Amino acid sequence: MSAISEFSCESCGSLVQVEAHLRTAACPYCASPAVIERPLEAGRPAPLFVLGFVVPHERALAEARRWIRRRWFVPEALRKAKVESIRGIYVPSYLFSAAADASYTAQIGENYTETYTTTNSKGQTVTRTRTRTEWRSLSGRYAAYVSDIVVTASRGISNHELEGVEPFDLRALHRYTPRLLSGWIAEEASLPAEQCRELAVSESMTEIQRRVAAHLPGDKQRNLQVQAHLNDIEQELLLVPVYVLPVRYGDDEVVRILVNGQTAKVHSKLPRSWTKITVIIILVVILAAIGGYLATRS
Amino acid sequence: MQPAASPAALDPCNRCSSPVEHGDLRCAVCGLTTPVVESRTSAEKIEFLRCDGCGAAVSYDVKAQAPKCSFCDSVMHVESPEDPAEEAGAYLPFQIDSQAATEGMRAWLGTLGFFRPKDLQTSATVGELKPLWWVGWVFDAEVLVSWAADSEVGSRRSRWAPHAGQQHVHFQRILVPASRGLSLDECTAISGGYQLATQGPPPQPQPGTLIERFDVQRSAARKAIADTLTRAATAQAKDWVPGSRMRKLKVAVLPKRLSSDRLGFPAYVLAYRYHGKLYRAVVNGQDASLVVGNAPYSIGRIAAVIGLIAAIIAIILLLSTR
Ligand SMILES: [Zn+2]
Ligand SMILES: [Zn+2]
Repeated sequence: MSAISEFSCESCGSLVQVEAHLRTAACPYCASPAVIERPLEAGRPAPLFVLGFVVPHERALAEARRWIRRRWFVPEALRKAKVESIRGIYVPSYLFSAAADASYTAQIGENYTETYTTTNSKGQTVTRTRTRTEWRSLSGRYAAYVSDIVVTASRGISNHELEGVEPFDLRALHRYTPRLLSGWIAEEASLPAEQCRELAVSESMTEIQRRVAAHLPGDKQRNLQVQAHLNDIEQELLLVPVYVLPVRYGDDEVVRILVNGQTAKVHSKLPRSWTKITVIIILVVILAAIGGYLATRS
Repeated sequence: MQPAASPAALDPCNRCSSPVEHGDLRCAVCGLTTPVVESRTSAEKIEFLRCDGCGAAVSYDVKAQAPKCSFCDSVMHVESPEDPAEEAGAYLPFQIDSQAATEGMRAWLGTLGFFRPKDLQTSATVGELKPLWWVGWVFDAEVLVSWAADSEVGSRRSRWAPHAGQQHVHFQRILVPASRGLSLDECTAISGGYQLATQGPPPQPQPGTLIERFDVQRSAARKAIADTLTRAATAQAKDWVPGSRMRKLKVAVLPKRLSSDRLGFPAYVLAYRYHGKLYRAVVNGQDASLVVGNAPYSIGRIAAVIGLIAAIIAIILLLSTR
């Protein structure tokens, strides 16, 4: 399998090359969009579903600019950097679902009020009440479906980054058709399915843990242990709409901002400016010192 | 658009055995993907989308959420997730006539208690009587219910002790009202008396008879059914929590074979007048003893009782100050 496919443009006849990790291309001479249907033998899974872009380019760009301006602790050069180029990419991901069967144990805290006697500042004996917690152990079973887990299938975008712009609105799911990709960049799945499955299983476990924690009675809880089995696992390839904005700042440094193409939710792991943080800590310390000084004088 | 008449029934979901409807991409109950009907492409091919109108190349457009030609603005069709409006599949027939319904309502007026006017039953004049079919879903499901709650059983210093459990329940013929004309409370109050086995074809439209339509789409219907399922499971779980006091009852459901029917239910809506004011009652169209509605209160009787209570309190105060 060669890394590059070639096709001749239907509009102008020029020979266009398509990189193997992409599903779409545009002719560099006449900008005609084309969609490549790759054979299944290539060892890549075919997408089953697509979520279409809903947010237009301009809005994604505006949201990203606004988001970056509101970040206080990033280097000033980055806050002032121009965000110009923006690309909408159909990112390959797996839509994962399973039936979860879990057993759990936990310590459940039940509150009660207790009266006690003490002496007040005037030396008198008084009765007061206080809330205390009694810990009881509880074990039980929990069964439910987990059905909307989405994990990355792209080497280019980590699962952590994708989680940053999730959730996607799965009600707008389309059956995959090349028509939805025309004119946009669509990446092929580049992570092995087994690796994605591990990611999805661990995301499901976190989800079940969260649900069981919300399921438990009592006023408090601690030491929650959940053992879950996932049955009837299924994962299918889904293309999700994400805008990717590389931002260049300072001495040729680049960070990447992602914008959810459906909801316009923005995410990025931005560097922190230690200068700014130090200045602010010093300011806080000075203010606290002044406050303390004034308090002791009055 | 696909024609409304659906072809052969689809196989149930492989994971939860619930029926799958045409146009579903995933099982609405458990999220399993439905089988792909068309075969997937197996050869590398390059597709140029061309506008049907002017032949120019077409790209996906965000605003149209479909491929759109930038020259002539025509939009290409893409297969979108189907979310059709629901329609009743069967109707229950009327089993009582309008006279029986009127009598049922009069009998009901007599059961409302002391605080209603004494002559309510005799002086109410029945005005308009409208037969109608209201719509709703009836579902069946085999559900594994996991529950957890606090109760007084086993408590020590705190009033509460935690409990948990898991049980199978077979919910049968649970009714979920979808009526716009009748309120949820009205539907729930009269829903007990329907004989669900008497389902028949849609009734012939007659003047004066209202046949309600489902005013919801499939996705909203499923949400209503899922919510009712959780409520029914919670109500059921109250019986499983030991003891008589409970709090923080939570349930999780794992439904299998969740199937639902869309039905039309017969009812009479009656307007009646009492001392010039208009009131409404709804009578189950199969059982005249199931009636719900509003009715006037007797100001005189309420005032008399309040007066009596005030007098008693006054006497007690008088006696205690002596
Ligand atoms: Zn060209
Ligand atoms: Zn299912």
